[in-house]
Amino acid sequence: MTLTPLIEPGWLSAILPEVILCVAGMLLMLLAAFAPKLREETAPLALIGFIIAAWSERLVVGGRFFGGTYEISGITRIFDITFLLAAMLATLFAREYLQRENIEGGEFYALLMWGTVGMMMMAKGLDLLIVILGLELLSICIFVLVGYHRRIPVSNEASLKYFLMGAFATGFILYGTALFYGATQSTNFAEMGRVFATANPRDPLLSIAFVLLMSGLGFKLAVAPFHGWAPDVYQGAPSPVAGWLSVAPKAATLIAVIRLFAAMTPLLQHAMWMKMIAALSILSMVIGNAVAIAQRDLKRMLAYSGIAHVGYMLIALLTLRDDSVAAIAIYTITYALMNIGAFGVVSMLAKNQNDPQTLDDIAGLGFRRPFYGLALTVCMFSLSGLPPTAGFIAKFYIFKTAVDSGHVTIALIGILTSIVSVYYYLRVVYFLYMKEPPEREAVPVGGIFATGALAISIIGIFLIGIFPTPLFEMAGAAARALLP
Amino acid sequence: MGAGVSNILSWMVWLPIVVAMILAFFPRHAVTAIKSAGLAASLVTFGLSFVVLQLFQDGIANFQLSESHTWIPQWGIRYALGVDGISIWLVMLTTLLTPVVFLSSWNAIHKHPKEYVIAFLIMEAAMIGVFVATDILVFYIFFELTLLPMYLVIGVWGGANRIYAAIKFFLFTISGSLLMLLGIIYLGFLQYHEVGRPDFSITHLYGLSIPMPAQAILFAAFALAFAIKVPLFPLHTWLPDAHVEAPTGGSIILAGVMLKMGTYGFLRFCLPLFPDATARYANLMIVLAVIGVIYGALVSWVQPDMKKLVAYSSVSHLGFCVLGIFALNQTAIEGSILQMVNHGLSTGALFLLVGVLYERRHTRMLADYGGLAATMPLYATLFVITVLASVGLPGLNGFVGEFLILAGSFKTHPTATIAATAGVILAAIYLLWLVQRVFFGPVTREENRSVPEIAWNEVAAMVPLIALMVWIGVYPNTFLRKMSPSVQKLLTTVQKGGQRGQVMVAETLTRRFAAPSPASGRGTLVSGPRPAQREGR
Repeated sequence: MTLTPLIEPGWLSAILPEVILCVAGMLLMLLAAFAPKLREETAPLALIGFIIAAWSERLVVGGRFFGGTYEISGITRIFDITFLLAAMLATLFAREYLQRENIEGGEFYALLMWGTVGMMMMAKGLDLLIVILGLELLSICIFVLVGYHRRIPVSNEASLKYFLMGAFATGFILYGTALFYGATQSTNFAEMGRVFATANPRDPLLSIAFVLLMSGLGFKLAVAPFHGWAPDVYQGAPSPVAGWLSVAPKAATLIAVIRLFAAMTPLLQHAMWMKMIAALSILSMVIGNAVAIAQRDLKRMLAYSGIAHVGYMLIALLTLRDDSVAAIAIYTITYALMNIGAFGVVSMLAKNQNDPQTLDDIAGLGFRRPFYGLALTVCMFSLSGLPPTAGFIAKFYIFKTAVDSGHVTIALIGILTSIVSVYYYLRVVYFLYMKEPPEREAVPVGGIFATGALAISIIGIFLIGIFPTPLFEMAGAAARALLP
Repeated sequence: MGAGVSNILSWMVWLPIVVAMILAFFPRHAVTAIKSAGLAASLVTFGLSFVVLQLFQDGIANFQLSESHTWIPQWGIRYALGVDGISIWLVMLTTLLTPVVFLSSWNAIHKHPKEYVIAFLIMEAAMIGVFVATDILVFYIFFELTLLPMYLVIGVWGGANRIYAAIKFFLFTISGSLLMLLGIIYLGFLQYHEVGRPDFSITHLYGLSIPMPAQAILFAAFALAFAIKVPLFPLHTWLPDAHVEAPTGGSIILAGVMLKMGTYGFLRFCLPLFPDATARYANLMIVLAVIGVIYGALVSWVQPDMKKLVAYSSVSHLGFCVLGIFALNQTAIEGSILQMVNHGLSTGALFLLVGVLYERRHTRMLADYGGLAATMPLYATLFVITVLASVGLPGLNGFVGEFLILAGSFKTHPTATIAATAGVILAAIYLLWLVQRVFFGPVTREENRSVPEIAWNEVAAMVPLIALMVWIGVYPNTFLRKMSPSVQKLLTTVQKGGQRGQVMVAETLTRRFAAPSPASGRGTLVSGPRPAQREGR
C-alpha cells in the first residue's frame, strides 16, 4: 500500500463549512459556560454560524481531498444546503420552544452543528469508513438531542430507545463493512467498484454484506421493517429536534446509499438486491401510510408518514440514473421544508410536553391562529403531494423517473398508497378548520423566530412548487457529475 | 392583436388569485369591504371573459388567444393557455356563476366571510385554468387546485353532515385524479420516445399513436378520473352527499361548473388521445350514462328533500351529456356541450332557489311546504321558469340541448337513446311534482304564510341565469356557431386516430359475429364498429 500525501493543497477551503460549524459549536459551548449573560443570545448566534457556513459553501472548491476519501462536488453542495436548511429551521423553532420549556442552553445548538458536520461527512465520504465516522458523530449528537428535555420521562425514554437501537444498527453497518472489506480488500467506493465490476453477483459473501449494511442504513432511514423506533423517538423528542431528525439524517443516509449503489452499479443489474430495495420501498409505503391513519398523536402520525416518504424516495433508487439522483435531492429539500414546518407548528403547542400532542390540540386552530393554520395546511398538502406545492413537484419527479425506468407497477403502488395518505393529511386540515376548539385548548405560542421559520417553509414550498426550474438545473447538473 | 390582450386568459386566471391574496391581509371585521372586493373581482373577470368572447373568432377550430411560456423545460412543461369552441362556453359559465354565488350568498354567510370569499376566488381561478389549459400538466394542476377550496367550502360552511361529505368528495376525486396523474406520466413517457424530447402539450399529444393495450389502460386511467367527476353511475355516490351538505354557493359551483370538468375532460382528453379505446369502450360508457339517466331520475322522484332531489337530477342530466359525447357525432357532441352549459344555468339556479327557501325556513323537506305561490309570487315565478328549463320545455334552454343529444345519438345508438328519452319524461314528473308540492295546493303550515319574498340580491343573481335560459332556448345558434369547428376537428381527430382501431374493432366483431356487414358510410363519423348493430342484437 502506497502512502499518498493525505493533505492536498486547498484542503482547508474544501472543508470550510465543517470547520466553521465545529468551531462555532465549541464557541457556543464556551459562551454558555463562561458568559451566562449571553445565554439568551445563543440561538441568534447559532443562526449566524449556520448562515456563515452556508455562505462559505460558495468558497468551497470542488475536487477530491484527503487521499481520495472526501469529495466536494455539486451534489454534496446541494445536500450541504439541505442539512444547513434543516438545522436552521430547527434552530428557529427550537429557540422559543426551549425558552418556553426553560431548558435553553448553548450545547443544544452546538450539538445541532456537530450533527450537521457528521451529515456533511456522510455526504462527502468516498470511503465507507468516513461515512461511518460521520454517522457516528451524527448519532451521538442525536442521542443527546432526543433526550434534551431531560426532566420529562418520554424524552429520556426516546433517547434510550434510540441509543440502544442505534448502537445495534451501527453494529450491523460495521459488520457489513467488514464483510465488504473482506470481499473487496477495500472500503473505498472507487476501489470497491472496480472489484464489483468483475465480481460474481451470486457471491454469498457480498449478499450477506449488502443485507447487513442495508439493514443498518435502513434503520437510519427508518424504512419498514426497520422503522419501529421512529414513532416512539419522534414522540418523545423535543418537537424541533423531531422535525430535524425526521429529515436531515435520512437525507445524509440517502446520499451515502446513492454513492454505494453507484459503486455497485454493474452488480445491481444481476443480483437480487434491487428486488430487496423494491420490497423495502413497498413495505414502507404500505405500512407507513396504513398505520398513519390510526394515529391521533401528530408526531407519531408524522413519523409514519415519514416512513412512507422514504419509501417513495427508494423508488427512485431502483434504477440509478442522473434523473433519479436529482429526484432524490429535490425530494429531500422539499421534505425538509414541509416536514420541519409541520413539526414546527406542533412545537408551538403550549402544553405539558410529556402528554401526547394529538389532533384535538389543533382543533379550530385555523381560524384562531390563521397563519399557523395556513402553514400547517400548506405543509399537509405538500406532504400529500398536491399541486401547486413543492410536494407535488417532488413526488411527480419520483414517479416520473420510476415510469421512465420501467417500474410502472411500483409507481402504481406508490400512487395508490398516496391516495391513502391523503386521508390522514386531510384529517389534519379537517381538525384545523372544521372542528370546534376543545375546552382546555393548547394555544400555540410563537414569536418572531418560529413565525419566520414557518414563513420560510411556506415560501419555499410554493417557490419550488411553482418555479422549480433553477433547482432542477442545479440538481440535474450535480447528478450528471456524480454518475459518469 | 396588441400585447395587452394577447395574455387575456392569464389575466382571467390570475386576477381572482391576486385579489384573494390581497384579501388575506384584510382585517377580519371589514366584512362588507371583503364581500364587495370579491364581487368586484368576479365581475371584472366576467367582463374579461366578454372580451375573450369578442376576440374569439368563429370558424377557427384550433386554440385561440393562445399563450405559451416555458415553465419547466426539463420536463417539457409549458405554461400554455388557449380557448377553443369546446371550452369557451364553459369559461363563460364559470365567470358567470362566480358573481352569482357572491350575490346570492351576500347575506347568507355569517361564519368566516373572509375565508369564504377567498375560497371562491381561488376556486374560480382554478376552474378557469382547467378549461383554458392547453398543457396537460397545467390542466392537471388546476384540476387538483379546485379540490382544496371546495373541500373547505363544504367542510366549513356546510350542513350537519358536512365533514363526511367533504372528506368523501375529496377522497373520491383524488383517487381518480392521482391515477390519471400516473397516466399523464406514462403519456409523457410515450411522447418522449416518439418525438425525442419531453412534451406535454395537448395538441402535440393528439398526434401520438399509442398501441392498443396501452391505450386501453390509459383510457381507463383518464376515464376513471373524469367519470368520478361527472359523476357517472356507479361512481356517483359522493355527489348527493356533497351537494346536500355544501352551502348554496358551493352547490351552485359544484353542480354548475365542477361536474363539467369531467365531461370536458372526456372531450378534451379521452376522445382525441385514445380514439381506439374510445371506439371500443364507447358502448360501455353509453350504457353507464343511460343507467345514470334513468337511475338518477328514479331516485330524484322519491326524494323527500328538495336539495337531494336536485342533486340526483344532476346525475340524470349529466348522463345525457356523457351519452352525447360517446355517441361520437357532431350533433350529439354539440348538444352535449350546450347541455353542460344548460345544466350549469338551470341546476345552478335551482340550487340557488332551494337555498333561498332554506335561508328563510331552515328546512328542505317537501312535506314542510305547500301553497308558497301565494306568499312568494315572484319567487314562485322564477322557480317555475327554472324548472321548466330543466325539464326541457321548448323555448327554454334544456330542450335544445336534450333534443340535439337525443337526435344525434339516435343515429348511432337508437336503443340507448330511446331508453334515455324515458329520463326526459321522468324529469318532467319529478320536477313538476316538486313544483306542485312546494308552491300549489293548500297552505298546510302556518309558517309558510309569512315567508319573506325573495330579496334583491337573489333576484339580481337570478336575472342573468333566466335571461340566458331564454336566449339559448330561442336562439341557440349564438352558442352552437362558436363550437362547431372545434367539434368537427375533434371528431376528425378521433376518426383519424381511430382508423387503425376501427379495423381492429371490426376484426373482433367479425370474429365474434361471423357476419360482418360492410360499412355503409352512413352519417356517423366513427361508423366502423357499427354500434347500432351491436346495440340492437
